[in-house]
Amino acid sequence: MQFVSQRPYTVMLIVPTGVGAAVGGYAGDALPVARAIAQVADRLITHPNVLNGAQLYWPLPNALYVEGYALDQFAAGRWGLRPVHQNRVGLVLDCGIEPDLRQRHLQAADATRATLGLSLSDYVVTDAPLGVTLQTAASGATWGTIQNPDSLLRAVDKLITQAGAEAIAVVVRFPDDEGSDALQQYRQGQGVDPLAGAEAVISHLVVRTFRVPCAHAPALLPLPLDPLLAPKSAAEELGHTFLPCVLVGLSRAPQIVSQIVSPIVDQTVGQTVGQMGTQNPAQPGDIWANQVDALVVPATACGGSAVLSLSQSRTRLITVGSNTTRMQVTAASLGLPAIAVNSYLEALGALVAHRAGIDPTALDPQLPALQPLDKTLNRKANGKC
Amino acid sequence: MLIQLIELEIGLLPAVAELETAIATRLQQHGEPLRWAITQIDPVRQIAHIEAVVTVGDDHSSP
Repeated sequence: MQFVSQRPYTVMLIVPTGVGAAVGGYAGDALPVARAIAQVADRLITHPNVLNGAQLYWPLPNALYVEGYALDQFAAGRWGLRPVHQNRVGLVLDCGIEPDLRQRHLQAADATRATLGLSLSDYVVTDAPLGVTLQTAASGATWGTIQNPDSLLRAVDKLITQAGAEAIAVVVRFPDDEGSDALQQYRQGQGVDPLAGAEAVISHLVVRTFRVPCAHAPALLPLPLDPLLAPKSAAEELGHTFLPCVLVGLSRAPQIVSQIVSPIVDQTVGQTVGQMGTQNPAQPGDIWANQVDALVVPATACGGSAVLSLSQSRTRLITVGSNTTRMQVTAASLGLPAIAVNSYLEALGALVAHRAGIDPTALDPQLPALQPLDKTLNRKANGKC
Repeated sequence: MLIQLIELEIGLLPAVAELETAIATRLQQHGEPLRWAITQIDPVRQIAHIEAVVTVGDDHSSP
């Protein structure tokens, strides 16, 4: 039997970075979730925090590696995604990285060229140390800033305009802070990633300015052996850099297309009388937010821009209770319709049912009969359902 | 360019689209948003707590 109107089943998976997500808040520990969802969806749209495991990664042919700022713009309908076969990746290195550590990163980059066949341009070193500072917000989410963002942007500009880079990998020297409680907790698979918030700021800045795929890898000195290292934090202590997964992800990250409309101005009266145009001629494979069938997020992290944007569309929101975070915003607290499940295993079931066109209630042992609409509305008004 | 964390409160609105617009408008008063999220809801006061990272002053010309 063939169905005429099938379209690719597209799922977006978000695990916000720097919010202490129990799954996905460590060293690529949401990657198994992504791998599983990629099996039930035709396309998976997710972000570097989910797919990056430092030395570890998993190539998913139907997954789109989309940086968080771009994800928000995509969800809002302002940007589209254009799949590619290959990106030429440009590498920005913070001049604040010590020579030996810089060499380690260059060797990691060369290894991806020789062993994986990735395409990299010549690299650029920033003209000033970028100077990362790390902080924690009142919510418990981590964030941070860089002292010289303009230096970062000048370096990226060079890579794009002079080296032909189509995607940008940024490596910034982060504070080592070996004895900090936050780091110790993180290594035990607890707490909030102290670096994550600052990392997000760095890549968001590049993407907002240049509209190219971007991801970040922190430059840190190796940590001493910890026999109690948690499995979900272990991927980040296998080598000298966090770079391989970033380069792999960027090598096939979708390009960004935008809908920019130009005003048609009646010159006689100086009034805008219409609009026209798109910045990039549309291509058949372009993906826009109205093609997202489902969005999977932690249950308490429903206050982000992408969730709010897609909640206003036909996208089915699925919230996962076991993936606790430091955020305290549920779908119910914002009045967002959602399927609430307890685990990612259940989320997979919800996706399968959704894709099959099955109402989840039909899978329960008890299925109440249909009711007249007036009766249901009255019950809701009286707070009875 | 400066990168800043700001925290603000916004009254909840009945429609999500209105809430998004209100958040965007308030953030623009502080700078160009890079990242934001509603981190907590106060159901009694009907207030949304927001944390956001914004940039102020956009110039990356040569030193």
